[in-house]
Amino acid sequence: MNSMIYILVQILVIIMAAPLVNGIIKKIKALTQKRKGAPVFQMYFDIYKLLQKNSVVSEVSSWIFKVTPYIVFTTAIAAALLVPVSTKLITQQIPGDFIMLVSILALGRFFMMAAALDTAGTFGGMGSSREAMISSLIEPSILVSLFTVGLISQSTSLPQIMNAVQNTGVPLLHPVYIMVFLALLIVIIAETSRIPVDDPSTHLELTMVHEAMILEYSGRHLALMEYGAAIKQLTFITLLVNILIPSDQLIGFTGIGALALSLVIYLLKVVLLSVIIAIIEVNTVKFRLFSIPNLAALSFILAFLGILQYFILGGSHV
Amino acid sequence: MSDFLDTLSVLILLSSFVLMANKRIKSYIETFRIQSLLIALVAGIMGVDSLLTEGRFDILVVCLLIIILKVIYIPALLHRTYVNVKYKVEKDFILNIPILIIVCCGLVVFSYFTLATVDGLNESIFNIQFVNSVSVIWIGLFFMISRKKAIGQIIGFLVIENGLYITAMLSTQGMPFIVDLGISIDLLTAVMIMGLMVFRINEKFDSIDTDQLNNLKG
Amino acid sequence: MGLLLLAVPVLAVLLLFIFKQNRIWHIISLSASSFLLIIAARLTRNVMLGGKVEYSYLGGFFYLDALSMIVLDIVLILGFIVSIYSIGYLQEEIKQGKVAAGKLRHYYMLMYSFIFTMVLALTVKNMGIMWIAIEATTLASAFLVGFYNEKKAIEAAWKYVIICSVGIAIALLGIILLHLSSFGVLASGRFLDWTALYDNAKSLNSSILRLAFIFILVGFGTKAGLAPMHTWLPDAHSQAPSPISALLSGVLLNSAMYGIIRTAAIVNHNQGNSIYTGRLLIGIGILSIATAAVFILTQKDYKRLLAYSSIEHMGIIAVAIGIFTPLSVFGALLHMINHSLTKSMLFLSAGNILQKYNTKQISQIKGVLKLLPFSGTAFLLGLFAIAGTPPFSIFASELSITVSIFDGKSIWLGVIFVLLLAIVFAGIAVTLFKMFYGNHDQKDLKAGETNIAGTVCILVLLTVITITGLFMPDGIIELINQAQSIIIGA
Repeated sequence: MNSMIYILVQILVIIMAAPLVNGIIKKIKALTQKRKGAPVFQMYFDIYKLLQKNSVVSEVSSWIFKVTPYIVFTTAIAAALLVPVSTKLITQQIPGDFIMLVSILALGRFFMMAAALDTAGTFGGMGSSREAMISSLIEPSILVSLFTVGLISQSTSLPQIMNAVQNTGVPLLHPVYIMVFLALLIVIIAETSRIPVDDPSTHLELTMVHEAMILEYSGRHLALMEYGAAIKQLTFITLLVNILIPSDQLIGFTGIGALALSLVIYLLKVVLLSVIIAIIEVNTVKFRLFSIPNLAALSFILAFLGILQYFILGGSHV
Repeated sequence: MSDFLDTLSVLILLSSFVLMANKRIKSYIETFRIQSLLIALVAGIMGVDSLLTEGRFDILVVCLLIIILKVIYIPALLHRTYVNVKYKVEKDFILNIPILIIVCCGLVVFSYFTLATVDGLNESIFNIQFVNSVSVIWIGLFFMISRKKAIGQIIGFLVIENGLYITAMLSTQGMPFIVDLGISIDLLTAVMIMGLMVFRINEKFDSIDTDQLNNLKG
Repeated sequence: MGLLLLAVPVLAVLLLFIFKQNRIWHIISLSASSFLLIIAARLTRNVMLGGKVEYSYLGGFFYLDALSMIVLDIVLILGFIVSIYSIGYLQEEIKQGKVAAGKLRHYYMLMYSFIFTMVLALTVKNMGIMWIAIEATTLASAFLVGFYNEKKAIEAAWKYVIICSVGIAIALLGIILLHLSSFGVLASGRFLDWTALYDNAKSLNSSILRLAFIFILVGFGTKAGLAPMHTWLPDAHSQAPSPISALLSGVLLNSAMYGIIRTAAIVNHNQGNSIYTGRLLIGIGILSIATAAVFILTQKDYKRLLAYSSIEHMGIIAVAIGIFTPLSVFGALLHMINHSLTKSMLFLSAGNILQKYNTKQISQIKGVLKLLPFSGTAFLLGLFAIAGTPPFSIFASELSITVSIFDGKSIWLGVIFVLLLAIVFAGIAVTLFKMFYGNHDQKDLKAGETNIAGTVCILVLLTVITITGLFMPDGIIELINQAQSIIIGA
């Protein structure tokens, strides 16, 4: 019963909030450029519109092309289920841990790259190869940084990590967590195809990565792909805010009220982080593709320094 | 307070990594400025603490000195030198950046393993700051090796000096005041002299690439 | 009295700043250095009678004991001789058009700042201030090394500044660790105070202290020219003006070595034996001698050869300090004195040769004895002396060091040591002695000395090293014994 509630709340919150993050980021970018910009809820309308339409499928493509949007969407939802939006919700062990999270997302990514190759368009292949490079560079740093927090909390399960971190006080003042925070921030930027790794708002063939892969999609399929990407983005943001800016320990009571309050705080944190990401995006320029390894190296270094600081502290001191 | 200092020591270490990843001389100078600012922050925190607990204000004076010298004056001096030598944008480093960064990682691990076994240094909370700040010294040294331009080497020297400052500050609450003062004066003179030498090298060799300094051998 | 020692060089720099005439600069320099020599003589007497000189004012930072007095005497005696030599040397350089007349002032100002920093390093008991002063010696002498402002000189100066600054920065890490090791032992007013550290050596944290010693050895070792941190030394010594080479080699290296000796004394006192410092010092010392031997054998530039010979002798001193018996420490200090006097004599006569022939290449020089009868002879005899031939004084100190090595039952070390010295001897003989005979090729060179006063200085030094090789005055032996007991402990 409890796990039913968990899944329900989790899916509801993530599905409802995911397009909002994109909306906020776009709005802030528009505002800094002295434009009015699209409404914050624009993406909901877009998805609604796209879902109404049929999709055009190339004759030469195989079943992979058709099945990929659904796989991308379901893997995103499955990944989202592993990252609780509120620790007030967890009453029993949820199966799966962050290793599973990374592998589920990798499954979705694999199909996305396969589908992009499937249509045999030039852009699709280009996008796939770039995506493969970026993801292989960035994945070590996700794993190392999550292992670091995992080591501290003696568990690989995300809910347990979240519970453990709540006892740390202000993690962002802590040397280990601050490294992990910065590492994951870079990971989010790279994973969600943001500037400086990729520019989501252009279709310039020299630069695009994610957009190149979904270029052949239209209608329903496109809606699912976009939605999947938004959910993946929110999942990562949730991971970051709930592990490294824990707030649930501040709520002294339990019950439905506590859950509601913690969800409100959660949404605030998500908005805050979206603002931060938007600011980063406004203030940086896109890197050359060959400079991306440097960024990935920086992220890895941050994660690595984090784990090293953990060992220097003797493990027990955290 | 020690949480703050731990974090700051990590950030200072991080800033030296960032320095290693920089490509342009201008960004070396900026990163050095940020690193010095962080060090001044450490000195400020410790200074306020020692003022409140022991009534000493010498660390605050040192903090002020760092701000004037390392945050404002020396970067400006280096900037002036850099503008005057008509520096051409060229590749300045020997290996590519990810490899340099990984070597730096190795240096941190190295200093951890060497220092963690020394009695009196391996008490946990003290150790993290010490390891981080000693790593800054080694990274500064490696930075000097990895850069070919004379100004890059000056920056490396300054980073070593920063590492020493922060080591002294975090491990022993600063050296005796007079020694701190003397070190600052020495540092200032050293940078001025090196700056002048850069001019002369530029004058005689038409470049500030130290690879060209290879006439003396054997 | 002692503070005058610090005030005189500062005053000299200020006066040089004020006056504008060429002649007055020479007079200021000469009078400052002779004044310093007189003060040094007074202080030496006080030290010999009272054991040490200390003043209570200014936080009691001024401190002189027999050990620092020996090194200080070397500094000031050589400072005096160099200031006499410089007059003639620089006049000749100006005449030959190598140096602008106005740069004379820079030369003297930098030289007196250099002397000031060395005096400061030797007269303080705070290890931190000592570090500052030793770092300052690099800064003061950097432009002296690059004085000629040619490509090679600039290159040497840049290497000198960069390598020594970094080296000395590592020594600062050592000083920080030294400070750390005394935490909770010393009262806050006596931090880094050498006497306090030495008195309380037993209660210092010994593992931190051991770490500190490594860094200080590497750091000050860079400055002392020990291999493998020696790479700046041949460049700087060969490119600097000859009187400055004499100061660098005879004085600066000793000041750095002095820092190592002070630290080694604390560490050995703390450990209760000299095994730890001994292994490091002997290892680095033998390496220095070996490196120098290899380079001497294949050397083509006589000033660089002399520089490598300095590395060799610093290695010998390091080995002697590493053995750490009363005899070996006695030998080390004696060797310090002898090497300084002999080597600076050699550099000064090399300066005369350089001015005559205008080349540093050994192969282009022939018939020195005919062209320069006095400085040529002194150079020849000095080479015998520096290679360790009796009756010169270096033989005496090398002999006592060798004996102390064999005393310590380390036969193999002794064999290697003697073998390396033999190689160096052979190297000097093979490469340099062909300079002296034969006839010079160039016709426009006239025979005869140009720098009369300087040549007299060289001959005085030659006399001194010959006489002290045969007979050592009791006063000096007494002083060295005092210093030896400071290092080793009663």
